[in-house]
Amino acid sequence: MKMKKTDIGVVVFMYAFCAFFYAYSSKLSAGSKTYPLFTITLLFGLTTLYLFQMILAARKYGVESGVDTVFAGFKALQFTLSLVLTIVYFFLVKYLGFFSATTIFMIASFIYLKVPVLHSVIALVAMNLLIYLAFVQFLGVRLPAGILF
Amino acid sequence: MLDTLQLMGQGFISALSFVNILAMAGGVALGIIIGCLPGLSAAMGVALMLPLTFSMPADTGLIVLGAIYCGAIFGGSISAILIHTPGTPASAATAIEGYQMTLQGKAGKALATACWSSFWGGLLSCISLYFFAPLLAQLALKFMSAEKFWLGIFGLTIIAGVSSKSIVKGLMSGAMGLVISTIGLDPIDGTKRFMFGQAFLAEGINTTCALIGLFSMSQVFILAEKEIKKRAKAAKFSDKITLTREERRKIRPTIIRSWIMGNIIGILPGAGASIACFLGYNSAKQFSKTKEEFGHGAIEGVAGSEAANNAVTGGSLIPMLTLGIPGESVTAVLMGGLIIQGLAPGPELFTKHAAMTYTFFAGFVLVQFFMLAIGTLGCRGFAQISRLSDAILIPCVTVLCVIGSYAIHRNMSDVVVMIIFGVLGYLMRKFDLNTAAVVLALILGPISEKGLRGALRVSGGDIGCLFHSPVSWVLIILSIVGIFSPFLMDKFERKVAGDENVDAAVQDETLS
Repeated sequence: MKMKKTDIGVVVFMYAFCAFFYAYSSKLSAGSKTYPLFTITLLFGLTTLYLFQMILAARKYGVESGVDTVFAGFKALQFTLSLVLTIVYFFLVKYLGFFSATTIFMIASFIYLKVPVLHSVIALVAMNLLIYLAFVQFLGVRLPAGILF
Repeated sequence: MLDTLQLMGQGFISALSFVNILAMAGGVALGIIIGCLPGLSAAMGVALMLPLTFSMPADTGLIVLGAIYCGAIFGGSISAILIHTPGTPASAATAIEGYQMTLQGKAGKALATACWSSFWGGLLSCISLYFFAPLLAQLALKFMSAEKFWLGIFGLTIIAGVSSKSIVKGLMSGAMGLVISTIGLDPIDGTKRFMFGQAFLAEGINTTCALIGLFSMSQVFILAEKEIKKRAKAAKFSDKITLTREERRKIRPTIIRSWIMGNIIGILPGAGASIACFLGYNSAKQFSKTKEEFGHGAIEGVAGSEAANNAVTGGSLIPMLTLGIPGESVTAVLMGGLIIQGLAPGPELFTKHAAMTYTFFAGFVLVQFFMLAIGTLGCRGFAQISRLSDAILIPCVTVLCVIGSYAIHRNMSDVVVMIIFGVLGYLMRKFDLNTAAVVLALILGPISEKGLRGALRVSGGDIGCLFHSPVSWVLIILSIVGIFSPFLMDKFERKVAGDENVDAAVQDETLS
């Protein structure tokens, strides 16, 4: 199997991850860092092993981009918007309260994803009702109230 | 022996309480809905419902999760039969014969076969659960600190190796999870480790938030990156969802064969329902007196696949409950549910918490009856639900992820953790890393650490103490076998399913 260029990112991420935790572990006492160092070394070793595998694959079979397989059919705008909406939803929950934020988030998502109005209304009511009954009534969770309710 | 029988009897009495019956019915119905929706998996469903079980008694909570698990495995067959899209990879083989039957106007017959076979597969798998689980738990009594450390390593090598396309990438995922598991207060001396000034990290990364993020939120991102397509219409059918006595007799040997195979596959860590369904299907074909019917709507094909994938459920609980080694992602999530209830897998479940454990077992038996009843009666309704668009699922699942992670400590910090793990899980899935291995590492990491440091403390820092006992060596050998098991498993899969089917199953798994 050819080496995928996208895997270079995986290796870089893993090394960065190891370096980050290794740097932080220097502040720990000897006893406390025994196990973290063991796990960091394990990850470092495995990442290096994978790097060797990649080099061998590149020499033997060649190199391919990998982007076309990893992101086949990737809808960048739809994905980005879903991610942004999720983050915005998180902040809305904090400031507007859970139910208001959920309603706004779901309506915005349904409009963007072109869900028919009737389906949107049913889903919106069903979700709010489900959360109210399951979490507020059954579990007794006090949901964030925010400035509205 | 008498004690065990008494515990079993008491288990059934407790399981038959009104609350538990409600939990079984609700869990099964929910599981079937999750299973029949292509794009949602059993692991994701169980992870999403974990927070709802917090306030329940341990046995009821576990029964709900077990019911969702069984329901989801069966539910996958509904969309496989009616819209030729397996709801879960476990029903990939069911689609082959099931959809052919639908095209011939025998959808009711196919669904009845799926219900009946799933019921027997699941029910018979409980026998091994009752028989083998206490025996294996006895073995776990012999485990001291060093053995616990190796047990953790063994668990990781199994799941990291088998569930990944690349063994090294799977192991890297596990190792990354181990590093993350060190966040929080040191379990021995209470020193702050990698907390970055955040007090909420004192107890470490919340496993439930990580579970929801890695399995459910990441799935939202996976759905969001693809074009939203209209689902095929579920075939309408007018035939009754029943089997004649003759048909039941015909599929009986197939069910028994599939039960045995599915059960063994379930007990083996690393192998799961998606392998079992092809194994069951192929053996049904091999032993059939009417081989020519296969590929054209053979009832035995549906029975073989469905009995095998449901037979996995009971078997897969055995290594998880007794040794703390979940063989696949669903059981890893179930183990999270067990730990959340303050219970640790191992011998204590069969001594100190025996009443709870046997109630759960009895509940698991009764869940199969609910699955048969709800599955048979509700097939038509579930078929309509299976068409639910991803455009509706994306915001709904997001909301459930947020509320689920918030409800744990009523803290928005947990939501942040969930979103971070959601993004991490998405990237991991895109780059063929293994999310189940991270979850398992988060669970096994602290156990391994206590084992390692406990052993080192007793031996005065001599690392040789990890290699002294024969049990340690057995676990070391098993870990090595675990690392190389994907090669064997891959060969085995290809042998039983044929390259084409395996590739399709792998593709389904990747998509889901």
